[in-house]
Amino acid sequence: MPVVKLNNAYLERLTRTDIRTIRNNLPMLGSEVEREDEEQTDVQFFPNHPDLCSAEGVARAMRGYLGIETGLPTYSVKSSGISFSIDPNLANIRPYLGSAVIRNVCMDNAMIESLMNLQESLHWVVGRNRKKVAIGVHDLDKIESPFSYIAAKRSTTFVPLDYDVSMTMDQILVEHPKGKAYAKIVRNQQLFPLICDAKGRVCSFPPIINSELTRVTEDTRNILLDVTGIEPRAVMVAVNIVCTAMVEMGATIESVDVDGITTPMLAPAVRTISVAACNALVGTAIVAAEMKNLLERMRFGAEVVDTDHVRVMIPCYRADIMHDHDLYEDVAIAYGYDRIPASLPPTFTVGKPHPVQVIYSLVRDIMIGLSYIENTPFTLTNEKVSYEMMGRPENSAALSVLHPISEDQTIIRTDILPMLMESLSINRSRELPQKIFACGDVVQNLVTYAKMAAVSIHAAADFSEIYAVVDAFCRMAALPYEVRGSRDPAFLDGRRGDVYVAGEMVGTFGEINPDVLVAFGLAHPVVAFEIDLSCLL
Amino acid sequence: MDLTINEKRVLAILTELRSADAATLSTRLDASVDTVVQWAHLCADRGLVTLERCVIETAVLTDEGKRYAAFGLPERQVFASIHGPTPMDELTKHPLSKIAIGWLRKKKWITIDKGVVTVSVNVLEGEDELALKNPVAGTVGCQELVKRGLAKITETVSWIVSVTPAGVEIAAADLDLREEIGIISREQILSGEWKNLPLRRYNVDTLPKRIYGGRLHPNQQILDEIRALLFEMGFTEFYGSIVQNAFWNFDSLYQPQDHPAREMQDTFHLSEEIDLPDGWEKICDVHITGGNTGSTGWGGEWSPEIARKCVLRTHSTSLSIQYLAKNPIPPLKAFSISRVYRRETIDPTHLPEFEQLEGIVMDEGLTFGHLLGFFKEFFGRIGFESIRFRPGYFPYTEPSVEPEVWVDGLGWVELGGAGVFRKEVTAPWGIDCSVLAWGLGVSRVSMLRMGLKDLRQLYRSDIEWIRSSPVRRV
Repeated sequence: MPVVKLNNAYLERLTRTDIRTIRNNLPMLGSEVEREDEEQTDVQFFPNHPDLCSAEGVARAMRGYLGIETGLPTYSVKSSGISFSIDPNLANIRPYLGSAVIRNVCMDNAMIESLMNLQESLHWVVGRNRKKVAIGVHDLDKIESPFSYIAAKRSTTFVPLDYDVSMTMDQILVEHPKGKAYAKIVRNQQLFPLICDAKGRVCSFPPIINSELTRVTEDTRNILLDVTGIEPRAVMVAVNIVCTAMVEMGATIESVDVDGITTPMLAPAVRTISVAACNALVGTAIVAAEMKNLLERMRFGAEVVDTDHVRVMIPCYRADIMHDHDLYEDVAIAYGYDRIPASLPPTFTVGKPHPVQVIYSLVRDIMIGLSYIENTPFTLTNEKVSYEMMGRPENSAALSVLHPISEDQTIIRTDILPMLMESLSINRSRELPQKIFACGDVVQNLVTYAKMAAVSIHAAADFSEIYAVVDAFCRMAALPYEVRGSRDPAFLDGRRGDVYVAGEMVGTFGEINPDVLVAFGLAHPVVAFEIDLSCLL
Repeated sequence: MDLTINEKRVLAILTELRSADAATLSTRLDASVDTVVQWAHLCADRGLVTLERCVIETAVLTDEGKRYAAFGLPERQVFASIHGPTPMDELTKHPLSKIAIGWLRKKKWITIDKGVVTVSVNVLEGEDELALKNPVAGTVGCQELVKRGLAKITETVSWIVSVTPAGVEIAAADLDLREEIGIISREQILSGEWKNLPLRRYNVDTLPKRIYGGRLHPNQQILDEIRALLFEMGFTEFYGSIVQNAFWNFDSLYQPQDHPAREMQDTFHLSEEIDLPDGWEKICDVHITGGNTGSTGWGGEWSPEIARKCVLRTHSTSLSIQYLAKNPIPPLKAFSISRVYRRETIDPTHLPEFEQLEGIVMDEGLTFGHLLGFFKEFFGRIGFESIRFRPGYFPYTEPSVEPEVWVDGLGWVELGGAGVFRKEVTAPWGIDCSVLAWGLGVSRVSMLRMGLKDLRQLYRSDIEWIRSSPVRRV
């Protein structure tokens, strides 16, 4: 989740209340205060709320929640007369563009910072790190309409932001910090997306970098917004969120003609919801008129249609309203979770454990009765511990994770015994004897199996001891078994056996090979037993 | 008084001898001197005897001392070789002169004047010389020899044990000197003979050898306690595969295919694939257009290819939805405690795998309020009395809630997430009533309950910690 840095003084000014009240109510809007000091409040918002990724957006929502200013924020958008054309060659590169003209901009540093932060948060939350959507803002007075969004040759040159020399787009991908960071989004394209003005001056190389020419400063009065992307809905969400945040700063929005389509509209979407359905979901008895008030506190427009219906106008920046239930949740939040009558579900059912868990419980009972202490080791492990240190050949049924986070955890265990050997190794300075067991899931190929392993370490541990344990285990588990000679290299030749049930090999036991002991840093005899519990199911 | 057989034997001898040294007792009792002294000390602890520690010092000549014993001390030998005034140069030729000259001058047996040595008259045999012939510890001469390294003193400790009046009194009563019985035999039990035998009496002040029984892992114990609670509340347990395709782990839970949580930095991906189940097309529709669920869907594209790719389950909700898809008829209450996997670096508060509790309740007429009611009851029963609810966000529930519990010393702690499954999640499987769903990081509950600071202790346990954790937790 993105962290949004909120300037306290600016937020207080926008919200028209004190920072204490704001902080106390932030959790109700779906955020966690990460850090706070005199100047700044850092908050994490839920990813379904990109509209809250700026001080302006937070203030707008907070004014509603606190009852300072409720109902639908309305936006008037007149035409700017500015137009954009999109090159059809972008169809397979980055086909969608949304734009707007933002006038009467008068930004101080806090505002510029807020805008930049909003842009970054949107790049992450809506834009999936600029892949899906990228946003550019330009000083409109430096450039001239009509603008064109084209697929350009990679050798096209311009001066990128923060540089004073002209570079080719190819060069930018290699040399510019932003180029290096986002090169992978466009690298494989023959042609690169480019925005130029009427005179052919480069404004932007989306989604990588703007041109130095259009840099936005405190002196900027009019902004051209470009949002490019690969998914049209996400592109428009980003346009709407940026525009409506700028309105909170005092700016006015004008539309741009993009190949005959007017953007943005900033018009609300409309849904008519059922009062009864909302109450049935939330568990409340809210009447239509109250529901209207609650919705207005969440900054929706609301009109009571009849006792069971409320027409809801959804502000254009609310990208998360996909279903009536999304509105019902906002009603519940405005109503207050703590006020919702909480009672146990009346549903009567009879509970029962899962057969695999029944087996695990049974196995635990048996092993505890045999004086073994339970361990619950990791299921992620590596080939070295599972096979090499055990003296066993690698198991082709083991699943490797594609991007392991450390060398210690590269596969999912196929056996539990190596985990217990590791446990003995961790505990080698502890008092002997140690008798431990573990039961749990292992994975071979794609299938999850239940297994149990047990080890005993002490100066006199021998084959007879573990054979007696295997025998006791099988008798207590009502498992008719026979033992045949084993070839498992983890165990000593002549001191090992394989356990068979109904003609199938289900387990192995014996004295651990001293080479294996040394590999695990152990200096006393270890006897061990592992069994696949599928035979008990 | 509970005397051991050995204490009685010591007392018996002393009633006869009144007082004896340890050597005598050793002979009479046929045990080593050390053992006898130990028994006597036990009697002394009870006030039945007194022990007197006698130290005897013996002087013995060292090897150097022994050499001089035959011919006299070096100064005596050199002195004997001087006849009348002798030049110093002459004197230094004697092989013992280096040791002797100092002593000759110290004992004033010679005077040296301008390089000429003159001997004194009337040089008598000194204490040290007498001691050299017959070293007796404690004499002045012997001490001199010790200082010169010509003799050394060895100490011999002996014990004199004497019976006290209390000891006499005890011994006057008939002392049963028969061998004590440790383990009572089968025959002695059956015949009743044990009643007449001198049974060894054990000292309760001596702690026994520490033993450790087999036991559940403390974490498993808490998990079992929670499972028992859920069975009591009528929940059926489900269980499933660690490896899931993205379809069941993400797509069926309405997580868009470009959702950041699905990327490789958060999730363990595998190169394997699992085919999509029947009905997958409905999920495809839900993502793109909302299907017939009343939703707008996410828009964009949805790829069956991506949905087939396998991951290690990142939450047990992947099992919940499969359980629901198989059991779409209400009512249903079910739960699972399963290992889940997140691509996290191991540190005290983060692990790449941990246990998650996941529960679902499906019935006609269930509301979000029932979910809150369930939480109050459930958390109260596992020991968290104060609970509050905050809005939450999960792609698959709406409304969503994050319950927080009050923990002394920590404040409000978030313990899980819950909500009512979205229509986008339930409708494709033919479910039209409410499904309440909740997840809980039970490893975190275990940590709080056990006061652990490091999550790793649950999975890479110190056996000493397991052995010393009480089985009953209050």
